[in-house]
Amino acid sequence: MNLSTNLRTFLIRRLILVIPTLLGISLLIFGVTQLFDPIERASLYIRDPRQIRFVEEIIKKYGLDQPFYVQYFGWLSQVLQGNLGWSQSLHMPVLEALITRFPATAELVLYSAPLTIVLGIFLGKISAVKKDTVIDHVTRVMAIVGWSLPAFWLGIILMAVFYGGFGIFPPGRLSPWAEAMIRSGKFKAYTGLYTIDAILNLNGDVFIDALSHLVLPVITLTTINVALIMRVMRSSMLEQLGKTYIIAARARGLDSKTVIDKHATKNALIPVVTISGLLTAGMLSGMVITETVFEFKGVGYFAAHAATQLDIPAVLGFALFAGLIFVIANLIVDILYAYIDPRIRLR
Amino acid sequence: MKTRVETKENPRLKELKFIVRRIRENPLSLAGLVIIIFFTIIAITAPVLAPPRPGRDPYIIPRSGYFPEPQPPNLEHPFGTTEGQYDLYYGVIWGTRTAYRIGVLVVAVSALIGIIVGSLAGYYKGVVDEVLMRLTDIILAFPGLILAMALVVAFGPGLDSITLALILVGWPTYARLIRGEFLRITSEDFVEAAKAIGCSDFRIIVRHVLPNAVFPLLIVASLDIGAIVITAAALSFLGLGAPEGYADWGQLISLSRNWITGTSGNPFAYWHVYVIPGLFLFLFVMGWNLLGDAFRDVLDPMIRRK
Amino acid sequence: MKRLTLETLDNEELLSVKDLVVRFYTYEGIVKAVERANLKLRKGETLGIVGETGSGKSVTAFTIIALTPSPGRVEGGAVYFRRAQGDVVNIIKLKEVELLRIRGKEVSMIFQEPNAALDPLYRVGDQIAEAILSHRLPEILENVIKFVEGELRRGRSGFGARLELWAYRKMLENPKSAILAILRRIPIIKNLMTRRLKHVVREEIIELLKLMEIPDPERIIEAYPHELSGGMQQRIMIAIALACSPVLLLADEPTTNLDVTVQAQIIDLIMRLKNKLNMSIIYITHDMGVIAEISDRVAVMYAGNIVEVAPVKELFNNPLHPYTRALLESIPRPGSPFKSIPGTIPNLVNPPSGCRFHPRCPYVREACKLEVPELVKVSEDHYVACLLYDGEIYGKYGGHGRSEEILSDKRRNI
Repeated sequence: MNLSTNLRTFLIRRLILVIPTLLGISLLIFGVTQLFDPIERASLYIRDPRQIRFVEEIIKKYGLDQPFYVQYFGWLSQVLQGNLGWSQSLHMPVLEALITRFPATAELVLYSAPLTIVLGIFLGKISAVKKDTVIDHVTRVMAIVGWSLPAFWLGIILMAVFYGGFGIFPPGRLSPWAEAMIRSGKFKAYTGLYTIDAILNLNGDVFIDALSHLVLPVITLTTINVALIMRVMRSSMLEQLGKTYIIAARARGLDSKTVIDKHATKNALIPVVTISGLLTAGMLSGMVITETVFEFKGVGYFAAHAATQLDIPAVLGFALFAGLIFVIANLIVDILYAYIDPRIRLR
Repeated sequence: MKTRVETKENPRLKELKFIVRRIRENPLSLAGLVIIIFFTIIAITAPVLAPPRPGRDPYIIPRSGYFPEPQPPNLEHPFGTTEGQYDLYYGVIWGTRTAYRIGVLVVAVSALIGIIVGSLAGYYKGVVDEVLMRLTDIILAFPGLILAMALVVAFGPGLDSITLALILVGWPTYARLIRGEFLRITSEDFVEAAKAIGCSDFRIIVRHVLPNAVFPLLIVASLDIGAIVITAAALSFLGLGAPEGYADWGQLISLSRNWITGTSGNPFAYWHVYVIPGLFLFLFVMGWNLLGDAFRDVLDPMIRRK
Repeated sequence: MKRLTLETLDNEELLSVKDLVVRFYTYEGIVKAVERANLKLRKGETLGIVGETGSGKSVTAFTIIALTPSPGRVEGGAVYFRRAQGDVVNIIKLKEVELLRIRGKEVSMIFQEPNAALDPLYRVGDQIAEAILSHRLPEILENVIKFVEGELRRGRSGFGARLELWAYRKMLENPKSAILAILRRIPIIKNLMTRRLKHVVREEIIELLKLMEIPDPERIIEAYPHELSGGMQQRIMIAIALACSPVLLLADEPTTNLDVTVQAQIIDLIMRLKNKLNMSIIYITHDMGVIAEISDRVAVMYAGNIVEVAPVKELFNNPLHPYTRALLESIPRPGSPFKSIPGTIPNLVNPPSGCRFHPRCPYVREACKLEVPELVKVSEDHYVACLLYDGEIYGKYGGHGRSEEILSDKRRNI
């Protein structure tokens, strides 16, 4: 049998499966638009505030008084052309708003997701291996506490202590002077992720400043999410440790460190891949709360701001974006599965 | 190692006894239980603990003036006041009721929808199953908070919108659980036997399958109250919840956002405005999570073998 | 480690299980899985252990290599084992470090479900290599070093060989060397560093697979477990078990889940390898047919007790314990109606008092409910734990030992 052909057919089949999901998501989002009356819906198509005078014409032009399915295909073709409507709260097209805000969110995820995942796997593994010991109990209590902390409250407390109390780790993405430096011609923006750009520009001051703004949001996100990974890792690890192949591995004289690290952990990681993928997708699609609390102007901050202003096109565009991120994340998770688990490729 | 053990006791009763024993033995779940009882008492006795002014909506927090700066705890206001002089004590006491109202309503209705949809899909299988499950797939493809946020915007801000949105986002999880149980149970012999002696579909679902499937679900669902209350509070915090002055923890926390830096001499001058309502929310959620964690262990067949 | 006197194990014997007690702590209560079990195994012998599911036979086998499955605990007794160097150890009291030198090297095990006993994520070749390298690394390294030195003397290789030679010497000297651990993290260097070692191990594995009568071993070692049939998986498990030529093989129902034809092949293979490698085997099964085919001696287990031990011929010709007799009668034969043993396996949380078989025993007496029978010698090499054969106790209750009734009954049946 040829494994690479197997992997290729698996990938193709998986890619084809994405299409119905994407259609479903677009239908759901479009379904939400049907909760509004035609005039409100017309705003989905307005790219420029001056067009507001022509609402009646827009309704006619896009057939907003037409039956559901006609409207759906009209809307879908607009979306596929990248027209997500005009955001009144930001005074720019929704797509542009999402694109300009995305690097901030990506930067936050770049630090918090790996930290959360690695810490969660580590704690879950220890907790499982040392089941019913003090270490297990302490780890689990910590996880439950973290899981129960409201992100917005934890954020406020952290800010009150560190920013309010000690004057370190300010909110926002950059201090005003660093902001000015970035906007100056000398600083080249390669990625929009300030810490990365600062390294590429060999600018240590901006790097430290950007990093100090990241500390609190990253702590917040890690604290509240680590329990998720930990719980899955722990129960998956416990399950694997009870399997026959573990006893068989020990029966051939392997020491328990090898058995745990090489065999049990690798098998236990399989479900953790899913949950890590979903977690990262959830973070990428906007940490609405965390970004709002720390005034970290990423996609989530933009969405929350738009929601309070009842900026409907922006919120729906954001929801569509989030759905897309999740579909992509699921795809990546499945590919990772096939890479880790040889059994998947044959199915 | 499998060890067959025969038991004559009613298995469901035995299960219940086992769960009660595990909860009693585990200090964490006991702590959770105590916290939940504490909040339940607060919610029930709210009119005594914080008597509302006669003739007014008890959920509207009384305010003494419009001065922006929060007052520290004093005799008149045991927990101090928030921005805009709302009484914090009154707010957190009645906020407990708000939390319970949203949590219980969302759990009850979404579990009910989940049970109905899941039963239909799991019992009839085929096309019905396919359609319903694709629907749940799509809803579950979104992060819950974001979909709920979009729905709240669509319905218009308010606690009722939040409740409705959380129900719409929440039911698919339960539907999936129940469907799974149904697929497992309907393949067992006693259902075939019931069909063979001519029981109606409805009777089989309600009398034979549901009692076996619903028990674990009800427990898991009721323990989701914590998670639901935290999401609802998050939406309130964003300003999509009740109008200002309504007794709601999320909103009280949001009222503290301008006061986290304190005064120049005392950085924690306004500690009460963010610590007190947040602590209530946090303890409430943790109480449910502590209990939920223990229950999930008990119900997890992999972990239950001690 | 305490050296034991030769009294615990005489010269002929390899293993002795003495008064072994194993209990499982489950939420339903304490399961008394193995209760005062006694066994002896001679060198080069095949001992069959037979019994129904839950009789404690697998637990006994796992306990022999100190891998009692959780939540089980050894609560009493000893497992004496004669090591290759000749000293006798009690496995139960041994430290983990010592056990690592015994498991897989001196005592190996094969399992009921070969599919579950192989790690699904690693190629079978890697899993066999693991067994070889965990015990035979120094020996293999010495061979490789000699080989590379020869190459260098003949001036055939250059820098790569020198790097390898250095790495192998270092490995031999101190397998946990920090610099090696670091270098091994770098894939390219790791490949360069271990090329010849890998080659040698691969050759070893292929030889081993040929011994297991596996066709096309070059292809098989690249396969993942799920790509192989059950029979092939079991051959791989046997290869792993025999990689270091152990003196004792524990076989826990190795053919139960296989097709009948494959079953015969695997049993054949095990017996041929046994003779070739001069091993002893403890073979666990509930299949009386298999027992008759392969065992020298047989131990019958019921509900955690060993109820009868005898040479295979003696057991089939002259079964003494009522349970053994029932077991033999329940072997399906063409032309005669299937006879099952009435009653069910008892709940081992609350096992029956006295003799655990008494609720199902057709010869039950008052004494059986009160006294726990001990294994007693009834003839040369034939032991049974039944009050009917224990005159002393039986007499106390007003009966007589070696009941005439049961003996006459036996003649009628066989």
